Order: sequence, then C-alpha cells, then structure tokens
Amino acid sequence: MSEHNKRPLKVALHGMDVRSCKTMMMFLQGPCKGAATVVNEDDADVDIFDGDAPVSKNLLSQHLQTERQKPTIVLSLQDFTHDGALQVRKPVRTDDMLSVLSEAKILLAEFARKKAQKQAAPAMATAVAGESEEEEETGFEPQPLKTYVLDQNERKKTSKHQTAMRFDEKGFQAYIGSLPDIDVNDPAQFAQASYDPKDYFQGYIQSAFMVCRAKGQILQLQSGWKPIMIFPHTHEVWLDADDPQLRAFAGIKLNPNSASKMSISPANAQTMGLGGSLDKFQSMDAFLWKLACWTSKGRYPHMIDYTQPVYLKNWPNFTRLLITPHALRIAALLMQGPRTLTNIAQVLNIKPQYVFVFASAAHSLGLMGQVKREADNLVQPPEVKPSKGQGLLSRIMNKLRG
Amino acid sequence: MSQYKIIFTGPVGAGKTTAIHSISDVPPIKTDASASDMTKSRKTATTVAMDYGVMNLSDGEKIHLYGTPGQERFDFMWDILINGGIGLILLLDNSRADPFKDMKFFMDSFGDFISKTSVAIGVTQMDLSSKPTIADYHTQFQASGLKPPIFAVDARVRNDVSLLVQSLLYSLDPGLAE
Repeated sequence: MSEHNKRPLKVALHGMDVRSCKTMMMFLQGPCKGAATVVNEDDADVDIFDGDAPVSKNLLSQHLQTERQKPTIVLSLQDFTHDGALQVRKPVRTDDMLSVLSEAKILLAEFARKKAQKQAAPAMATAVAGESEEEEETGFEPQPLKTYVLDQNERKKTSKHQTAMRFDEKGFQAYIGSLPDIDVNDPAQFAQASYDPKDYFQGYIQSAFMVCRAKGQILQLQSGWKPIMIFPHTHEVWLDADDPQLRAFAGIKLNPNSASKMSISPANAQTMGLGGSLDKFQSMDAFLWKLACWTSKGRYPHMIDYTQPVYLKNWPNFTRLLITPHALRIAALLMQGPRTLTNIAQVLNIKPQYVFVFASAAHSLGLMGQVKREADNLVQPPEVKPSKGQGLLSRIMNKLRG
Repeated sequence: MSQYKIIFTGPVGAGKTTAIHSISDVPPIKTDASASDMTKSRKTATTVAMDYGVMNLSDGEKIHLYGTPGQERFDFMWDILINGGIGLILLLDNSRADPFKDMKFFMDSFGDFISKTSVAIGVTQMDLSSKPTIADYHTQFQASGLKPPIFAVDARVRNDVSLLVQSLLYSLDPGLAE
C-alpha cells in the first residue's frame, strides 16, 4: 500500500452536479488509488471546485474572497491563477491530480502551522474570530449535492461482493453430493429426509454467530480444522479456506470427540493481521447459506415439519448467495403466502430435494419459519394461475438465463 | 406488434445506464447530459431524455429497457414511460447520504404502477458503502406490507442485473418455468 493511501486526503467537492461528483469520487478511488477520499465539507482537508460551470464559478469567486483555512484546488479548462489556489487542467489526468494533491498536503501542513501560531497569540485570535463571523454572514449557497463517504477497505473484500454462483438441475447433484442411504425425493421417505444442523459444522457456526451477535464482540471459532473469525458489526466472517475444503468439512457428521475441539474466544482482528487478506472476508449470510446447502445435501432441517406450512420472511439477497435450482421460483411462491414444502414441490413441479435444500438455507438465516397461526393452517394456499403474459415472460426469462 | 417495456428508475448515479447496458443487445442510448439543455429551451424533444436499451427475444419480439432520467425535474415524463411497462426495476445508490429517502421518493412516485405490476430493488455501490444493509432496506418495508426482492447489485455485472430482472418476473408469475 502506498504512503498516500494510508492517509488519504479528505476532499470536499463544490459546484459539481451529482454525476460529476460521482465521477470524481470514482476517479480518486480508482486511477488515483485512493489518494483522496470525498467527504462532507466540514470534514474536508481540501476544497475542490469546478472552475468552469457558471454556478460553480460564483461559488469559487466567493470562496476565494474569504480567508481560507484549507487548500483550494480548481479544475478548469483554461489557465487559472489565484494566489494560494492550485489548478488541475481539464480533462483531469491522474498524474496531474496526484501531483496537485501532494502540493495540497504541503499547503495543508502550512495552514495548520499558521493556525497554531494564531491560536497562540490572543490578540490575533480575536481578529480571526471577527473574520469568522463575517464569513458566516456572507453565507455560501447551501451545498445542494450529496457527499460520499468511502470505505477504502470494503472494495478489497472481493469474495464478499462477488456475484452469485447459480446452479440449475444439471450438475447440481454432483456439486452438492448425495446421500447413499435415503432417497429424499421419495414421498415414503420424506419423514426421514431431515437432518439436525447441530450434528454438523453448520450447527456450531450458527451457535457461534448467535453468541457473537449477542455479545457484540469479535470472536474466533476454533474447530480443530481452521479458525474462523466472526465480525458481528460488519456481518462478516474471515476464513482461510476455499469452498471445496469447506464443502467437504460441512458434510461430515461430527462425533462427540470432534465436538469437544470446538471453542469460541474473543479475538482481535488487528493483532491477527487480517487487513492484508481482505479477499478472505465473506458475509455471514452468504457463508451460512452455502454451509447449510452443503450440509443439507437435499434434506430439510429437522426443526421444520414438512407437513405444515412454512413462510418466508423476505426475499434472500440472491445476487450474493449460492443459488440452488429453482430457488427464485420457490422464493417468489412463498412470498405470496405460506405453503408446505411438499406443496411447493407439487405446484412448481420440481423435485422435493430442491425445496428441501432451499428450506435448509433459508431457515439457517432465520428467513424461513413454520407457520404457527391456526388461520394459516385452515386456509388453502392460493392457486397459482399462469399470468396473461406468461409466454412473453418465459421468453424474457430464457433470454436472461442465456 | 406490442411494445413491451421494463422500466429502470432511481436517482442519478445509481447505475441505470450501466444496468441497461449490462443486459441490452444494443449499446444503450444515453441522453441524460443533453437533457438539461433541452429542458431549458423547452423543446418537446425532452422526451428523449432517458436511457434506452433493447433485449431481442428468440421470436423476434423486443423488450424495450427504459431508464428514467434521475432528475426530479423530468418526473412529468414518468407517466408516459411506464405506459405498457411490465414492471419496475428501482436502483438505489447506497453511497448516497440517505438512500431510504430516495427509495421512498421513487416508491411513492411509481406507487400506482407498482400496484398494477411489480417492483424489484437493486442496491448499488455496496462495495463503497456497506451500510445500510439489505436487511435494513427490508425493515423499511415492514409497515407497508410490501415485500419486494431487494438485492445487492453491481450494475456492471450482467448476472446481478439479470437476477434482479428475473426476480421481478418471478414476482409477477412464480409459475414460470426455469
């Protein structure tokens, strides 16, 4: 990491429309490699003005007439000279901007030194206060733009922001694995097609998440395999293992001996140096969701009664979750109202294992629950009628799924 | 032949143009920048102040993808745009100061259209600003009784935009085959 990225300059943008602000923000973040970050005016070290648009010209003119407390950078098509103001010619080039930002840093230190001197002299301080009041009376136009606060590290958490992996029926069975002793799609075996998450790594992870959230503390789960760090405030986990390794571990039924190796303890992310491996961060939800899918192997969690309706609290964040076959359809159907797992399979004409695996994942995140109200059991779920434009919607769907 | 549309809306910079580009078969026509000038001169041609893309379906049918101009001063166009729309994709920029306010504004503005069709919400820029979370967005809907799909979306990634549109279509008809 370069020196300027460790302490990015905080800049405020003036006289730019929202799109220009956004472009500048991305420019500073991307080509300038985070040399500066866009913040609110009050928090800024440096003011950056657009020197060409009529509105921003007025703002700049007013700004330059006041005693400035921080460096000013002007972006303009023509040469711009004003005592103490720095210029970057448009179109703005990365090298030019970085060079001017370096100059601004030096100026900033100079401003800070002068300010300290003024504060040391009481007589001078009175004068400054007077000017400050004058500045307030002048009153700049209220800043109509939104400002942006960037999270420098968030972008580097590539696993967390990766788009979803999606499976259709073909290849899913091989990916998720199968169970030799049961056919989960056989109605006669539905009662046995459940599993207890507590018998697997999934159960320990769910417990650890619960403890972590309750304590509001970063914790480390030791499992005799690889340590997992859990961050309750940012809803993240950190694990130095790839998916195939985790998938293999997820499918193993843990015996009491393995379970005794599980422990959870407070941890400090900074002392463990996780900042250097930000790509190993994952969202807690995405992590638990896939773990539940791999543990399930087409079974449903034993807490769910497959003969009773279940509800879905809200749509899962599918773009960041492992998408099992028919998952979107199942979610859409359940958003219309509660149904039993077997009814879902019947209505959508799909194998029960796809409903069971979805139920396992959704239940692990607390998105799915068993209906408890009497009324929900009394009323038959609404019939799914094909929409008038089903042919058209199907063709759009085919196109999107490519 | 009927004109079928999917409408993309949201504040300026939320990624409407990029999202349309991600799934369009033709390079999208971008007209946001020139629109402000046209509006000033009060030309009727301001109706082109929007993003536009096309999806060509297998039978020769076209799905028109319209991005509404983000600026509120163009909201008079929205009623015209939504006519014949299949549903609404609302994109929200998570790095803006108050994305919930944006969400409320657009949900209210398109309330009638949404009640007749459906809406799916994509939250962009979550890699720049991770809060509010997707769960926070769902919480905002608790009182309304609406439960739309809300996904984190990178508008540059086709799979993200595609999944968002698919969720809209499944919301309209869960019986659609996969």
